[in-house]
Amino acid sequence: MLGTLRGWRETLLVVAALLATLQLGSLVVPKYILPDVPAIAQAAREVLVSDARDIAATLLRLTEGVAAAFALGSLLGVAMGAVPAVARYARPLLNIMMAVPALNWILFAILWFGSAEVRVFFVVVVISLPFYALNVYEGIRGVPADLVEAVEAFRPTRTQAIRILLLPHTVPYIIMTTRSVLGYAIRITIFAELIGTAIGIGARLNAAQSQFRIDAVFAWTAVLVVINFVLQAAVERLDRRLLRWRPEQALR
Amino acid sequence: MTPVEHAPTPRRRQDREPRPEPDAVVLHDVWRAWGGAVAVAGLTFALRPGEIAACVGVTGAGKSTALRMVMGAIVPDRGEIRVLGHDPARDFGLLRGKIAPVFQTDRLLPWRTALENAALGLEILGVPAEERRRRAQAWLERLGLTAAASKLPHELSGGMRQRVSLARAFALDPQLLLLDEAFSHLDEVTAAGVRADFLSLARPLGTTCLLVTHSVAEAVEVADRILVFGRPARVVAEVRVAAPVRADPVAQDRVRREVLAHLQGAMAG
Ligand SMILES: Nc1ncnc2c1ncn2[C@@H]1O[C@H](COP(=O)(O)OP(=O)(O)O)[C@@H](O)[C@H]1O
Ligand SMILES: [Mg+2]
Repeated sequence: MLGTLRGWRETLLVVAALLATLQLGSLVVPKYILPDVPAIAQAAREVLVSDARDIAATLLRLTEGVAAAFALGSLLGVAMGAVPAVARYARPLLNIMMAVPALNWILFAILWFGSAEVRVFFVVVVISLPFYALNVYEGIRGVPADLVEAVEAFRPTRTQAIRILLLPHTVPYIIMTTRSVLGYAIRITIFAELIGTAIGIGARLNAAQSQFRIDAVFAWTAVLVVINFVLQAAVERLDRRLLRWRPEQALR
Repeated sequence: MTPVEHAPTPRRRQDREPRPEPDAVVLHDVWRAWGGAVAVAGLTFALRPGEIAACVGVTGAGKSTALRMVMGAIVPDRGEIRVLGHDPARDFGLLRGKIAPVFQTDRLLPWRTALENAALGLEILGVPAEERRRRAQAWLERLGLTAAASKLPHELSGGMRQRVSLARAFALDPQLLLLDEAFSHLDEVTAAGVRADFLSLARPLGTTCLLVTHSVAEAVEVADRILVFGRPARVVAEVRVAAPVRADPVAQDRVRREVLAHLQGAMAG
């Protein structure tokens, strides 16, 4: 608790320092390179009022993509944990997928799909899914043999064993993955939105850039940073609620 | 090897012509190796229904290996095992609800409360939620854990966790309890308390119990019959402990020395 408060105070100090630097910089550098803080604040207000729809669209795309990656990836991870042959072939495939740069996925998406929605969805899923699959697989392999033997001694069916032991055990892995995937996935979403979407934060950023609205670019940047923080905090809360059974969690 | 006289069994049959009840556990010439090393070497013994038997052996004698074969977790290389008339590994589902384990460490699911842990076996058996809560709660109470029902394992002491693990086993109302060093992990005072509670619950129920332990004192205190294991595991001696002996410290001590002599003889031979 103390740690969080101290973390907040330092974050606020850093934000204040950044704003001060920006303000000082805007006095020396032309406005079209560094706008002053009031101008950015004004732009942010406009953005939040008139472009709420774009924020919602981006968040929806992000949620859809991450949710699909979570569902499919976890399923694949469970299959890998249950059937060794699946793991043997899925592992190299997932590693290859992860080695493909995000930009290349975006290019493939543009070439393969006409619909902007499908493009964004495809890119987010294809980039997030391997993380879920590999981490859920790790989680399943990491179930302590002691617990497996204890639960098996009560002779559960296969489904019962999965529900009682494997799934609860993999929850921390899923949360951990979501934590690291979210920040990445939101960048990918916006990146993919830059090309060919009419609404969304990426589309607005594209427009701001073409109109030389540096104040709007700064405003969107701030909005994105806040969105990232809020998402991380939400996952953290979920983490604490679901994982209160872990003694090290209680220490925080 | 088959015992000749037994105490009357609590689960009597109403047959006109009284047939002897089949043994609860039978091992016949069971062998098992790990890698090349033999851990169980021609193990043969039988347990009467309602009997409490303790297998005593030194560390690494193959006690856990033997117990895990009775549990059906691993299969013998050769020999035969019957548990309540079934092959414990092959007839996996047929023995559901009939066997319950207690291990050296509690092995509770860390994300479940004491109550949810105690209800695990009943859940697997398909007992409706309300009833399994009630039954698990009753067993927690019998083991002195009324206040701990909603606590998570990491919030409980080692002794309490082991009691939850006992509640989990008893709640199933099993025909056979398998205990692997179930009291060895605890300090002496706590272990004595948990052991006493275990006995006061298991004896009146007439549940067949198979314990393995390296502690001679524990075996003498708990069991009707002690099977002394050599290393690798096979029965080198069998010592009966009558109820009056368990009540009498001097007699207990005599039996303890007898068992110890058998153990040392097995190691020397
Ligand atoms: N899972 C296993 N893999 C390999 N060796 C094992 C395994 N379990 C037990 N052993 C070996 O079998 C022998 C007997 O072990 P165990 O049955 O645990 O003895 P005890 O319970 O009497 O101490 C030991 O030498 C041990 O190293
Ligand atoms: Mg052992």
